[in-house]
Amino acid sequence: MSSMFSWDFAIGHFPELLKVVPVTLLIAVVSMLLGLVFGLLIALCRIYRVPVLNKLAALYVSFIRGTPMLVQLYVFLYGVPALLEALNNKWGWNLSSDNISPLIFALTAYTINSAAYQSEVVRAALNAIDMSQMEAAYSVGMTTTQSIIRIILPQALVVALPNLANIFIGLIKATSLAFAVKVIDIMAVAKIVSAEGYRFMEMYLGAAIIYWVICFALERLFAVMEKKLRRYESKMV
Amino acid sequence: MNGATINNLIEILVKISEKLPITLTIMVLSLFFGLVLGLVTAIIRIRKRPVSYAIATLYLSIMRCTPALVQLFLIFFGLPYLLMLLNININGWNKITFVVIAFSLHMAASLSEVIRSAYLTVGNSQLEAAYSVGMSYFQAIKRIILPQAFTIALPNLGNDCIMLLKDTSLAFTIGIVDIMGEVRIIVGNNYGINEFQVYMVISLIYWAITIAIENGVRYLDKRLNRGHVSISKY
Repeated sequence: MSSMFSWDFAIGHFPELLKVVPVTLLIAVVSMLLGLVFGLLIALCRIYRVPVLNKLAALYVSFIRGTPMLVQLYVFLYGVPALLEALNNKWGWNLSSDNISPLIFALTAYTINSAAYQSEVVRAALNAIDMSQMEAAYSVGMTTTQSIIRIILPQALVVALPNLANIFIGLIKATSLAFAVKVIDIMAVAKIVSAEGYRFMEMYLGAAIIYWVICFALERLFAVMEKKLRRYESKMV
Repeated sequence: MNGATINNLIEILVKISEKLPITLTIMVLSLFFGLVLGLVTAIIRIRKRPVSYAIATLYLSIMRCTPALVQLFLIFFGLPYLLMLLNININGWNKITFVVIAFSLHMAASLSEVIRSAYLTVGNSQLEAAYSVGMSYFQAIKRIILPQAFTIALPNLGNDCIMLLKDTSLAFTIGIVDIMGEVRIIVGNNYGINEFQVYMVISLIYWAITIAIENGVRYLDKRLNRGHVSISKY
């Protein structure tokens, strides 16, 4: 290892790290939003105890939350080609996983992962809303769907926001594993550049600073959002 | 999918399981040191002395806002460099040391918040009551606060344990052969078995440990909460 910490190297190659920040954000934002939609559906399946789906959803959530993200990425990376091959053999199709870009792989895998976590958050938030709200909505003639969308969800969102913020920040950090499916993100660039120059500290410190700034900014942003959303709530004291 | 026989899968399961002690060692050591350091950090944050409070808060912010992988690499590449400046040679250190240091620091951050929130939940009135019967601060902490705080913190501690278990899957990136490292070796050697199936086997192992931890925590929680009357109906 080289003897001195090289500021020149660290600062000189910092822009290369910054250039791939959008990749990290893209993965996090897309899988967060898609995960929220799927998570809501899963949560509704579990709250209303939809016969088969309820059990399946519970199994899925338990599996995703019980295994490391990295292992899930590898399962996905090797599982999709195996699945396509099986489909090809069975139906005589000609699908190939070669033309699927790594980014699509990552987006799908992270969506599957975050949907499980978000379903639990959404479920807890929906359960936190009192049943009387639902009854009140019925009493003014709303249907179940209407009352969920107009009455329950807006309130549940306020309850869920801090946890959703945590999940989003967790996702940003989890994208550092996307190298497993060959996505070139901040970590991958740090790895490549540092291996070329044989200067590891410089690049990883740069990466750490970027992650820190992103997550810190998000933390502030969510704190402001929470305050805004809670504006209408009456205070206890 | 080329057919892997059940025997093949069992063989792989046994092979991976042989490395389980390494994963668990990393986990237990990091948990222990993380708890100690987390307790110190929590006490510093609770007591709110200006300088140490600011340092502890900065430390928490750094640890919670950067990925565990980055921290692992920073420790692995940075620590030898730092210690070299102090003329300490650590070439002979086991790689597991670096992982344990990195994960202890990582865990301490989240554990300190768990401990702090549990302490604050128990509340000052308990401390005052302990003082009023003549206990010293440390007696009060040991006999009154900690037993109550531990019960409150237990579910969060369990969650953090599970997080730590999952984080240990990163240790292979610096060349440690834990269960994840063994999987990499198996996949690299290619025993004529599908990579997908190998990774399914290891996910089952992780899943099993997670469920075991979950159930252990649930059991402990029930035991510790015996006789506890709560207003929420569970």
